[in-house]
Amino acid sequence: MKIAVCFKVVPDDQDILVNSDRSLDYSKAQQIVSTYDLNAIEVAAQLASTHEASLVALTAGSALIDSSKLKKGVLSRGVDELFMIADDACTNMDALATAAALADLVTKNGGFDLIICGDGSADNFARQVDVQLAAKLGLPVVTSASKLAIEAGALVVERSLEDVIEVVRVSMPAVVSVTPDAALPRIPGMKEIVAAGKKPSEVQASGSSVVSALEVLDCRAPEQVARKLQVIDASQDGAIEQFVAALKAAV
Amino acid sequence: MKTLVFAERSEAAIRLAAGARTVANEVVLVLIGELPATVGSADKIIHIALPTGEVYDNAADTVNAVFDSEAPDLVLIESTRHLRVIAGKLAAHVGTSVITDVIEFDGSTPVSMYFGGVAHRKLKASGVSILTIGPSVFSDVPATEVAPESAVIEEAAWVAPSAALELLEVRPIEKSGVDLFGADVVVAAGRGFAEESDLELARDLCSKLNAGLGCSRPLTEGLDWLPTEAYIGVSGQMLEPKVYIAVGISGQMQHMVGCNRAETIFAINKDKNAPIFKQCDYGLVGDLKTLLPALSAAL
Repeated sequence: MKIAVCFKVVPDDQDILVNSDRSLDYSKAQQIVSTYDLNAIEVAAQLASTHEASLVALTAGSALIDSSKLKKGVLSRGVDELFMIADDACTNMDALATAAALADLVTKNGGFDLIICGDGSADNFARQVDVQLAAKLGLPVVTSASKLAIEAGALVVERSLEDVIEVVRVSMPAVVSVTPDAALPRIPGMKEIVAAGKKPSEVQASGSSVVSALEVLDCRAPEQVARKLQVIDASQDGAIEQFVAALKAAV
Repeated sequence: MKTLVFAERSEAAIRLAAGARTVANEVVLVLIGELPATVGSADKIIHIALPTGEVYDNAADTVNAVFDSEAPDLVLIESTRHLRVIAGKLAAHVGTSVITDVIEFDGSTPVSMYFGGVAHRKLKASGVSILTIGPSVFSDVPATEVAPESAVIEEAAWVAPSAALELLEVRPIEKSGVDLFGADVVVAAGRGFAEESDLELARDLCSKLNAGLGCSRPLTEGLDWLPTEAYIGVSGQMLEPKVYIAVGISGQMQHMVGCNRAETIFAINKDKNAPIFKQCDYGLVGDLKTLLPALSAAL
């Protein structure tokens, strides 16, 4: 059996700064694997190990994502092989374009029985690539999977929806996106990191013309609400009383 | 302009139909599965009945057929997990991407959050726009509730799904008990709490104010002192309470996007230069270990 897991590389949101014109400054932010995709990689690694399947990781993005540290990071998490499209034509793709690029990788490196995606990426959090990828490949898709098992050649998936758990069965091959609670990402040890350096990874050219349907007209931090800014030192006389009075009035 | 509206729940069917009316002269409401008791006012309702035992997602091919015959200029879809699949398959069918989780829409340019609210983006789709959007975006629009029986209902012909899921079981979710979303008052704890036992001081204040207890990222991810649902900020809870009390929280943007729409923000921090004091209404500089008991006693 062959399993593929898709991930996205994004700037670390904890280090994004806001410029004075409210545009975003990514210069201090490292390129990292989007948080929820680590959970997807873990789910895929556990399934691969249980079913003695091979596990391939797939991603597409700008030339920036072709970093050995990043590739090692992914390959140290139970992944056997990594294929990526790292091309500036793939900068800031929308779901349609991302799915087209990933579908390219799937077709080229082919024959996957199961393709796993994360719940959503840290930047867009559109939660659409799973569905678009499945549509592009003509495969069934199950989203919001909090548990999945392979039983008699089919997948049995528990979906965590807003108010209910929905259990479904689907034939393979299929695309499944998992919620963050489906598996806690491992912390790779020194041995895994060293071994990861010897695993195969390949940067491939984008075969399809990658065109996004969405155009970003503006992207800025929201304007701050004007606040009263009445800050006092607690050691001042009556400071706590003032604070409590304001609190009582506001509640 | 013609707008197609999809809703899974009654409230969204009402609100989204009303919102659609503000931007379009023709509104067609599409409902999948059992009809809710009340829906919004539309020129026509198209009902897609789910054959017994079908998963909601399996209606996607029928939805695509409805889209083709109605040929709308705009599609508004309630942002639920089921409908996001329907939306994605429709977008793939049309050759576009969905503009997701829209927070503002004036009929021309939808606004979505980027990096969990760090920025807001204005997006434009080539061709037809497909938006997922919550009912609260149209909460100021006067809405009419109607019983579906009194509307013009057209039954859509079921199209057999091409990539079907088989339904095995549906069961209710057991919630963890943390529900900050509806709380009027929220107390949020941050890295200023040196020990887990100090959280009791915050809990005491919560019980005085009938408040929910939330936290910034380090307390749930890493320290594990509070459940994930209590995390406020980027990729966590986005709250708009009446009163927000940030205790031992420095005020990094990644946290503040989760609470900066609160009516009044109170802050307690021992560092007088903490960024939170530039973003609050009332601030108290001092040690939370003495201040929290003093506040609880005074309330």
